[in-house]
Amino acid sequence: MYRSDAEQLIRKSIARFVDAEIIPNAQEYDNSKEYPKEILKKIADMGVFGIRYPKDRGGCGGNSTLFCIVCEELARGLMGLGATVAMQCLMGTNCLFIYGNEDMHEHYFLPAMKGEKFGCFCMTEPEAGSDMGAVSTRAEKTNDGWTINGMKTWVTSGPIADFYTVMCQTNPAKKIRGLEFFFIPRDTAGVSVSKPFDTLGTVTSKISEVSFTNVRIPDAFCLTRDGQGTGYLFSVLAEIRCMTAALAVGLQRAAMDDAIRYARERQAWGKPIGNYQLIQAKVANMAVNLEASKLMTYNALKMVDRKIECKNEASMAKYFATEAACSAADSCTRIYGAYGYSMEYPAQRHFRDTRFLLNGGGTHEILQTNIAKWVGL
Amino acid sequence: MDIVVLVKQVPNTTDVKLDKNTGNLIREGLESIMNPDDRNALEFALQIKAEYGGTITMVSMGPPQAVDVLSEAMGMGADKGLLLSDMAFAGADTWATSYTLGKAIEKIERFDLIICGRQAIDGDTAQIGPQVADFLDIPQITYVTDIETVSNKEVIVKRRLEDGHERVASQLPALLTILGGANNPRYPNIGGLLAACEENAPLAAWNAADIGVMVNDVGLAGSLTHVIKTYVPKFKRQGETLEGTTAEVVRQLIQHLGKSEGASACKAVAATCRLMADTKQEGI
Amino acid sequence: MTVWVETDLCDGCRRCLKACPYGAIDMKAKKAVVLDHCTSCGACIQVCKNEAMLTDVVPREIPDFTDRQGVWVFAEQRKGQLTRVSLELLGKARSLGEELGQQTAALLVGNGVSGLGETLISHGADKVFLMEHALLDVYRSEPYTIAMETVIRDHRPNILLVGATHIGRDLAPRLAHRLGVGLTADCTELTIDPGEKILLQTRPAFGGNVMATIANRYSRPQMATVRPGVMKAEEFPGHKGELVNIEISLTSEMVRTEVLDSIKEEKRAVELSSAKVIIAGGRGVGNAQGFEVLRELAAVMDGEVAGTRVAVEEGWISSDHQVGQTGVTVRPEIYIACGISGAIQHRAGMMNSRYVVAINNDPRAPIFQVADWGIVGDVTEIVPELIEQLKQGRENVIGL
Repeated sequence: MYRSDAEQLIRKSIARFVDAEIIPNAQEYDNSKEYPKEILKKIADMGVFGIRYPKDRGGCGGNSTLFCIVCEELARGLMGLGATVAMQCLMGTNCLFIYGNEDMHEHYFLPAMKGEKFGCFCMTEPEAGSDMGAVSTRAEKTNDGWTINGMKTWVTSGPIADFYTVMCQTNPAKKIRGLEFFFIPRDTAGVSVSKPFDTLGTVTSKISEVSFTNVRIPDAFCLTRDGQGTGYLFSVLAEIRCMTAALAVGLQRAAMDDAIRYARERQAWGKPIGNYQLIQAKVANMAVNLEASKLMTYNALKMVDRKIECKNEASMAKYFATEAACSAADSCTRIYGAYGYSMEYPAQRHFRDTRFLLNGGGTHEILQTNIAKWVGL
Repeated sequence: MDIVVLVKQVPNTTDVKLDKNTGNLIREGLESIMNPDDRNALEFALQIKAEYGGTITMVSMGPPQAVDVLSEAMGMGADKGLLLSDMAFAGADTWATSYTLGKAIEKIERFDLIICGRQAIDGDTAQIGPQVADFLDIPQITYVTDIETVSNKEVIVKRRLEDGHERVASQLPALLTILGGANNPRYPNIGGLLAACEENAPLAAWNAADIGVMVNDVGLAGSLTHVIKTYVPKFKRQGETLEGTTAEVVRQLIQHLGKSEGASACKAVAATCRLMADTKQEGI
Repeated sequence: MTVWVETDLCDGCRRCLKACPYGAIDMKAKKAVVLDHCTSCGACIQVCKNEAMLTDVVPREIPDFTDRQGVWVFAEQRKGQLTRVSLELLGKARSLGEELGQQTAALLVGNGVSGLGETLISHGADKVFLMEHALLDVYRSEPYTIAMETVIRDHRPNILLVGATHIGRDLAPRLAHRLGVGLTADCTELTIDPGEKILLQTRPAFGGNVMATIANRYSRPQMATVRPGVMKAEEFPGHKGELVNIEISLTSEMVRTEVLDSIKEEKRAVELSSAKVIIAGGRGVGNAQGFEVLRELAAVMDGEVAGTRVAVEEGWISSDHQVGQTGVTVRPEIYIACGISGAIQHRAGMMNSRYVVAINNDPRAPIFQVADWGIVGDVTEIVPELIEQLKQGRENVIGL
């Protein structure tokens, strides 16, 4: 009997949703800067949040490739939405999924799969970004649990989340080996969330600070132990980078689609500007970069799904796809001419949203340094 | 309430290419989608199932890749899919198609309702529903916009007419054809889509032998109508560009319209032309 | 029709077994055996070296239909009122009949509708077959199919035309299936092939991008539904015809549906498909205020306002006003395209308009190629001027 190809089927299905529900409203969402609650409800109803978790544990039985296909398509519609969904599907829920007990699954993980609860990931601190050893949020063991003190920033979905996966230092002497992940429900005493940041791009995804003052949690909420923390982080880092690369691929496609549409419509000296070779060169570059980005991203994802070590491939994909997205958004604004400078056209949105991609999953400076090291320098 | 939903995979494009020999559509290279009206049909079936229980069986006739519309339907919540696929089915007109679908549905153990879209966007014939209903000797209601009530014996629906609508009751089993836009079809669920891609998914494929038909009675060979010629319509238009000042071109336009047969049906145009003629005479 | 094995000739080589796409051949005592689920596809016949596979399937032949006479029209009536398309079809049927040397007949089905016979005769029917019954009062698929089937089986027409209304498109396919004949939907052109003397049925396909001409060689009557407004109704003053009563035996058990209510809607919010005048706007209209001006023009011309996909996406007009491949197909007398470039998707929805006026400031816009009259200029200037001039004419005539 014939069967459908899962990757094509999921892509087509999400693409239809993006074309019908997101793209026509993307500009409006972005202008309003509001968190798109209704559209997220629809995405939740489609079961997207469970895409990379197994069926017997409340997921859909998909894998990382399928997850990133969804990220790519959503980012093609609206990057802010892609970012929110990616957080919920991966960083916001994954540690809880692996290390959480049955009770936590029932009360947090399963509702998160249905979109009834949102989770997010707290890692960066005001004084600790790429340099994880500098993380100063402290988890101290007490008789019956843990006490958490510290402040996290650049928390994507921080203002809307119901629970946090927080990286804390359990033993400063151990430096990064002392880092562990803790599960902290938002309604725990001592948790406070700042107002959403005013950001350059992805304005519909809400980012904030989250601070923890004498937050007391039971021992079960300590997700990783005995140095598991950094191991866990490195185990998901490749997937996080692939995910960012997939979001960048989505943005490239959006920028290219808009650029081509405009180049066909806009006339100068009696013909569409797309007939001029300098415009063609820009579009051709976008297309070539897009193709290369896709190949690198989905190649790395195949390795992630086969559980093959691929931190190098994933870093390269993230680096390349994001740079290509920056270049595509830049070309798009140029093809739009003065309209690329207008807030009424989508070119500027792509341009602003690329800045989000630069930081998530590692800055390019760190990635380049690592890549050089891995290839033998 | 066991429901059969008929669904078709159709090309989603305006860039149409045709086979020079048969006049049939070349489907290669075109994006294929679930026929839009069929989506509305399935949505009603899902709503009925939610309220009354039962199973939804999707039936489609098409090439192997048409399994995608069955998978999508299962993602939306259908229980089973049946693909009628055989080289011998290719090139069928509505007579041969409804015969093939009818023979297959006869083999399905039981059904209370058959629901299908009003028409498919690649043919726009709206014939398959009524012809399948006649094949199975069950009543039909076409152009349905709403399903009011369903019981063991009867269904009451709203049916669109050009100048209003009717409420029609039908004994069961019956066949309904659903007008596009009658409801808001849900999006498929990712888990459901993935389940449909698995080896053990409840999807079956039947060929001519499985439904017990002779190849000469199906497909192109079994068709009663044949496309003998296709052509791209040429627009026979005057193509005259009117020139002058704004007032002049508008005046010319009204006069052209007024002189045209049929276009003078517009009272304002006719009246304005008369006024123009009168003014001209006065001037003389 | 079957395929069988001449056992004496079979040498048990198993070629047929491998060739059969349906697994419908088995070997018994080293001889091929054809199983029940054989589809007579003939694959085995082609591979058998010993000509041991035999069939009685004969190539299809076109039957002799010379005894099938008459060009018939289903005279659709609703509550005692004939639909316009029925009269349009009679005009066409008459000219087809003349070409074939055959009579024209109308099939009048209903209850207490004999009075309509006169109208049908004066519009070209040589015969009106009248089928009246209490169960035929309101249109329902089943009793109408039975009535039509009865008269067609008894009087064996050559051609049957049905209006492509919601009722016609409900009845025609069921009837065609019942009679075992082919049916072509939504024809826009009907001609007689000069050689074969068959009906050539032309209809738009794929949203109007392609026209397909279809023949129905293997069954009679040759059935087609025809879109309203395509053919022209004609009156034949003094034309004489005959009203023939046909007995229809119907019992309520034969009818499994019941019409509970029939609600006539004064005027549907959008009546694009039957509008005589349509003012359509596209990207060039610029904004929602621009559409207000188009509405004003529509009011002056007693027309409807429509929009392209872009206009709908921009939110200038609601989606039920969309003309084109994904929207409504329209065929008004006058179609005024304002600020519309004329993409193929849009043209597919309006190409059947009788007269097309294009107003666009880009002289290269494809819409001008499908327009009767084009004005190169700004919509915001031309349309108000058009309103102004037409208003003068309107006001000059009392009662408009």
